[in-house]
Amino acid sequence: MSKRIWQHPEIPAEETGVSSWRSVGELENSEAFRAHLEREFPEGSGHLSEEDRESSRRSFLKLMGASSALSGLALVSCRRPESYIVPYKKAPEWIIPGKPLFYASTRPCAEGAVPLVVTTYEGRPTKLETNREHSDGGGSSALTQASVLNLYDPKRSRDFLYKGAKSSRENFAKALGELAKTPGKIAFVCGEDDCPTRNRLKGELATVFPDARFYSYESLRGLGKRATNDATFGDGAEVVVDFEKADRILSLDCDFLGIDPHGNGIAFAKGRQGGAAGYKHGIDSGKMHRLYMVETAYSLTGGMADHRLRVAPSRVLRLAGAVAKQIGNGMEDSPARQELQSVTENIPPADFEEKRALFGGDAKKFDEWVKGCAADLLKAAGRAVVLAGSRHTEALHHLVIAMNKALKAYGEGPLSAVRTGREGYATIEHLVKDLNEGRVDTVVLLGPSNPVYDTPADLNFASALAKAKLSIHLGLRTDATAKACTWHVPAAHYLESWSDARTATGVYSLVQPMILPLYDGVSELELLSQLATWKEIDWAKVESGEAEAPILLSGEGAKGAASPAYHEVRKSFAGIGGEGEDPWTEALKNGFLTGSKYEAAEGGADEVRKLKAETALEEALSRTSAAPSDESLELHFMADASVWDGRYIDNGWLQEAPDPISKLSWDNAAYVSPRTAKRLKVYKEETKLVPTTKTPFGEVESAPKPEIDEGKNAEAPVVVIDIKGRKLRIPVLVAFGHADHCISIPVGYGQGATDGREGVVRIREGDPYASVGLVGQNTGFNANPLRSRAHGGFLETGAKVEVTGEKYPVALVQEHNAMNGRALAREVSTQEVAHRSFEQQVAKVAKQGPVDSHAPENISLYMRKGSTTWEGDRKKHADLVSDKIHQWGMAIDLNTCIGCNSCMVACQAENNIPIVGKKQVAMGREMHWIRMDRYYATPTYERDGHGHIEKEDGKKKKVPSWVSDNPELVPQPVACMQCENAPCETVCPVNATVHTEEGLNTMSYNRCIGTRYCANNCPYKVRRFNFFDYNKRNPLIDKNLYKGPFGEKKVGEAPHLQRNPNVSVRMRGVMEKCTYCVQRLESAKIKQKQIGRAKTLEAGVNSTSVAVSIEDLRVKTDSVRTACQDACPTEAISFGNLLDKKSRVWRAKWTGEKTEDGLTAKLPNPRNYDVLNYIGTVPRTSYLARVKNPNPDMPDAKYRGLATINTA
Amino acid sequence: MANFFPRWTNVLPLKIAVCLGVAGGGVVVAFTYYATPKAQRVGYQPAQPIPYDHSLHVGQLGLDCRYCHSFVEHSGQANVPSANTCWNCHQHVRKESPKLEPLRRAYDETYANYDGAPIKWVRVHTNPDYVFFNHSAHLNRGISCVSCHGKVNEMEVVYQAKSHSMGFCLDCHRDPARHLRPLEEVFNLDYDPKEYLETHEILDAEGNVIKTPKELGEFLKQHWNIQSKESCSTCHR
Repeated sequence: MSKRIWQHPEIPAEETGVSSWRSVGELENSEAFRAHLEREFPEGSGHLSEEDRESSRRSFLKLMGASSALSGLALVSCRRPESYIVPYKKAPEWIIPGKPLFYASTRPCAEGAVPLVVTTYEGRPTKLETNREHSDGGGSSALTQASVLNLYDPKRSRDFLYKGAKSSRENFAKALGELAKTPGKIAFVCGEDDCPTRNRLKGELATVFPDARFYSYESLRGLGKRATNDATFGDGAEVVVDFEKADRILSLDCDFLGIDPHGNGIAFAKGRQGGAAGYKHGIDSGKMHRLYMVETAYSLTGGMADHRLRVAPSRVLRLAGAVAKQIGNGMEDSPARQELQSVTENIPPADFEEKRALFGGDAKKFDEWVKGCAADLLKAAGRAVVLAGSRHTEALHHLVIAMNKALKAYGEGPLSAVRTGREGYATIEHLVKDLNEGRVDTVVLLGPSNPVYDTPADLNFASALAKAKLSIHLGLRTDATAKACTWHVPAAHYLESWSDARTATGVYSLVQPMILPLYDGVSELELLSQLATWKEIDWAKVESGEAEAPILLSGEGAKGAASPAYHEVRKSFAGIGGEGEDPWTEALKNGFLTGSKYEAAEGGADEVRKLKAETALEEALSRTSAAPSDESLELHFMADASVWDGRYIDNGWLQEAPDPISKLSWDNAAYVSPRTAKRLKVYKEETKLVPTTKTPFGEVESAPKPEIDEGKNAEAPVVVIDIKGRKLRIPVLVAFGHADHCISIPVGYGQGATDGREGVVRIREGDPYASVGLVGQNTGFNANPLRSRAHGGFLETGAKVEVTGEKYPVALVQEHNAMNGRALAREVSTQEVAHRSFEQQVAKVAKQGPVDSHAPENISLYMRKGSTTWEGDRKKHADLVSDKIHQWGMAIDLNTCIGCNSCMVACQAENNIPIVGKKQVAMGREMHWIRMDRYYATPTYERDGHGHIEKEDGKKKKVPSWVSDNPELVPQPVACMQCENAPCETVCPVNATVHTEEGLNTMSYNRCIGTRYCANNCPYKVRRFNFFDYNKRNPLIDKNLYKGPFGEKKVGEAPHLQRNPNVSVRMRGVMEKCTYCVQRLESAKIKQKQIGRAKTLEAGVNSTSVAVSIEDLRVKTDSVRTACQDACPTEAISFGNLLDKKSRVWRAKWTGEKTEDGLTAKLPNPRNYDVLNYIGTVPRTSYLARVKNPNPDMPDAKYRGLATINTA
Repeated sequence: MANFFPRWTNVLPLKIAVCLGVAGGGVVVAFTYYATPKAQRVGYQPAQPIPYDHSLHVGQLGLDCRYCHSFVEHSGQANVPSANTCWNCHQHVRKESPKLEPLRRAYDETYANYDGAPIKWVRVHTNPDYVFFNHSAHLNRGISCVSCHGKVNEMEVVYQAKSHSMGFCLDCHRDPARHLRPLEEVFNLDYDPKEYLETHEILDAEGNVIKTPKELGEFLKQHWNIQSKESCSTCHR
């Protein structure tokens, strides 16, 4: 029997003409996509393949045989198993069994340390939250959330390796002793995080080892930016941005919200909200900031932009030059203007061909764009800022500094140049030079990078490293660099070590260990500290046996004393925060030193800087004189949102989290625009541009017909990219909004494979020191061999592409769990649209859906508004379903949601959600409770001032292709909506999913029999089914899941330690979904219940005379936070008690109350709406519409802010 | 051809079916009873490594429950005391007793057989992993230890006194008034509401003196706003 299909209403005429899509399949309305829409799980996800069925049948027979043989024994042994309670011998201070302990700590990071509060259970760190007491605390990224899993990574390095073979700690200690005795020309290579203690030890080491040199390296930090900042503001200087002071932002390929972090996301969100942050007021369009984005491939920041231009990476500099010239022309004469003009005069004007490429032959539009942007920035001088991507060359960074000076962005403005502690470190290029020229013969690699793998090919790092007579690598993984070094030392994770770090603004923050090193790893500071002190040992005595050889300490000092790193950090702290115990204890408790920050940078020598700027510019311009074309493509490398520069390749959570833009998980791919894909003929001959594909929105243009079935058999065509003889075989995916004639490839993948893929290190079966573990092997392709040092290492010109005709299976999740309906995500514009002002558009948000405007208002079952619907007999039962203390609800603000996956990974950490592996993901069996929907949307037809579609020669007039080729990107996180009128509940045959008094739609796993009816009936597609025992059986071993009890159970030695003890670990055959973190709600409520005893004690009377009121039992306003809410870097998620009018979520949903005829009605926040309101589910999670703030002077202003998402 | 089967065999299938049905039903009924927590769990009385006598320590010496189960008011789990708690007294009292050998092995560094291994107490009361019972939520709302654990103060060797089945939980969650008592009496396992009312004058909301235990329970329920939940997520998460 086929499922009855809900007939979604027609889209009203004034809302048609905007097309939106998640994937090529949806754009083309392919059959595969229809299947995704109409099914609860993708076709085939509930079936076994023929092959799998065979293996499963065999194991069934084996199992039956075994179990009947055992059953005889079983009856005999049917006794209650004895279990034990093993209390501590001596109870440690603070630990209460069953209660979490929270410690303030810090995650060191090159982009600025991340202040954290770490949740630990009986000594196990399980979850990381942001430290909200910290001035730089504010949400976290997916990488931060997932970093706790690295601690328990089964593939973590645990052995000392000498030339790739297992050695011992003692042998290494001997080698280190030799080194301390005769240090030679030693080089230390650190990470780019700012660690005050390391910087101090650097000074000490420099005095002990006079020949020592220091370098810092992280592959994605960008040498151009570093060189420019050093030249302009002095060695080790950094520019910090404060988005709260920025009204106008021009980003030149700087994905500051995503993979190129700059500034605080919460401050950015405040500007985005135009005074509505915290929902005390509505959005004031005048206060809202405006973001211009110039980039090649879509980024998260590009998705937030009000205006976006897609250009080839080499054209970014020219475009910046054009804007800079306009700024120079528009301002009064001043030194800043002269400087700007002196920089820009060498930049040739954009030629006609380029303009045509950008605006489809309309060169005037290009000039309008540049003028509009420049004028807008200039008007807001003092509150305007230009940001350049870190990976870009010096030329662009010099230009941007001149622009920012002209815009008065420094000092009082949003930017401030600060002096960090990174002074005196040379770059990796210097290291290679020094190695080649014999100035260095011993290398100690301490940073988190993997330079043998992630440096540009023409740097030849590996061969330079081989010249060193001794090399020591300290790292968490046995990666390529570990193998290339003489010694590999297993490192301690940051949750296992003492250290300190500076945040982006320079707040001194402490890193403290939560647990002793699991595998006896050594921390960087421990190594440096011991090396420095061992120098002073009298080695002659050691050799003669008079003194004992020193032992390499890690984790703790001799005889259980504190680690040497602790003493070093204390010493640094004494110099910064003061001597004595009190300031230290206070800082340790808070996680940071109050009031500490970076000093302002003085500025470097102006003449040198100008000279550098000019030479850099000339060089950059000469290199990229020709615009890219079909024959000579531009290649552009970027950080990967999951594996970063490759260091997180063994992190299952990150690998499984789909890329926020492409929605590809477990792999990387080359991304090209639809037009370029067509020109390169990556699809077969019959593939052609289908100009008149019929979709319910009308005719859609400009996308090649997909040959990609984006379901379980998803495959991408494989091409060979050739740059001057350096080749890479890689699958290609179509990326919307991508610049033409360009290819973007994320780096970091392809570090080890067993399937013999080209260009990837081959792993031997069962090699304990393989470069990647089960998680990282056979994932992606290594793009680093294509990179060269020219253009800063992230851009290559003159690439050619050869189509191979091969296919590569990919796990694309963009169509999985596709919601069907009207006005799913809603958007308005601050500019007038169809004679409707911004205020009028906002007022209509809740009625934007087709029937929402005339559907009767939904009546809540739980908060009766005096409606007659539930009067009469039912009224007396009202109390049964209505808790007077708590009614939970959530609001997700699409205006500040950037779509970064942080919530998704935080949820995974909090709720014990397993990973399922690439094959299972491809089949649509991913378990994420929150999915991040990502839509593209663009207007299809031109409209007149009244919003009517314009006609030309009797046909509807299409928007120009430069608009439709550059669609808007709309992210929408979707988790269980906790419908009050939940469709899932009515179909459960066993009452496993039922409602609580507090409005939660709960799931009791142990009642669930796995019929999956609930998922079938869920219009939001938020339910996930455990097709296998993902928690118990390792899903990464081929076919392991199908082997049932005979499969390999062990996922590793330690991952279970990360589990949250307050959440059940679900087994096979059970449905699961978001619970609003019910474990957190329950523990907050229970904590509140202690108030009765507290009040009694306080009053000093008998408990029978102390009343406990509803208010006493109510959890304090906004004190309980869900994991996703806490992780959100932009505070887009509000959660709380809907009965508490002071709560943030209440203000997000309602603006106030009105009493009429004795009935109190709430006044809705006009921007708030329910998804699929018209089907009457009364969801507890609502969304707030997105607001675009286009500049009316820009050519694309009238096309922005229309991205309301409807599905066919 | 003669009839192979005599006439009585006509009803044989029915008889067999009835017999099998009765036998099967009997097995089901017997097993259902046998498999319930009531039959399986109540009375479980394992031997402990140290034969700790509650009736002596609590009943005779008057030790409070919270001396050993120290976090029971604050945490979900009622902790079993760590070795140092026992040692507080037993380094002075009956230190040489052979019964205390495991304690000395764990804690007394001067003891010849000292090995530092913690004491492995045998778990008496256990819940499945998917049940998240919280002690503090109950104790702070006037439910006593005795409601679930029985009169531990009279047990020489601790055994499970109540079934701890889901029905057992729900009985109380549906009608908590029967078990509520003043917070001061929560750890008094010998509490008798009648005696309590004789010695304490408690006025209800209307100002009348409460006379019966039932009234007291109802009064406390109202007075403290006790709304014991029956929804799944209260205990299953």
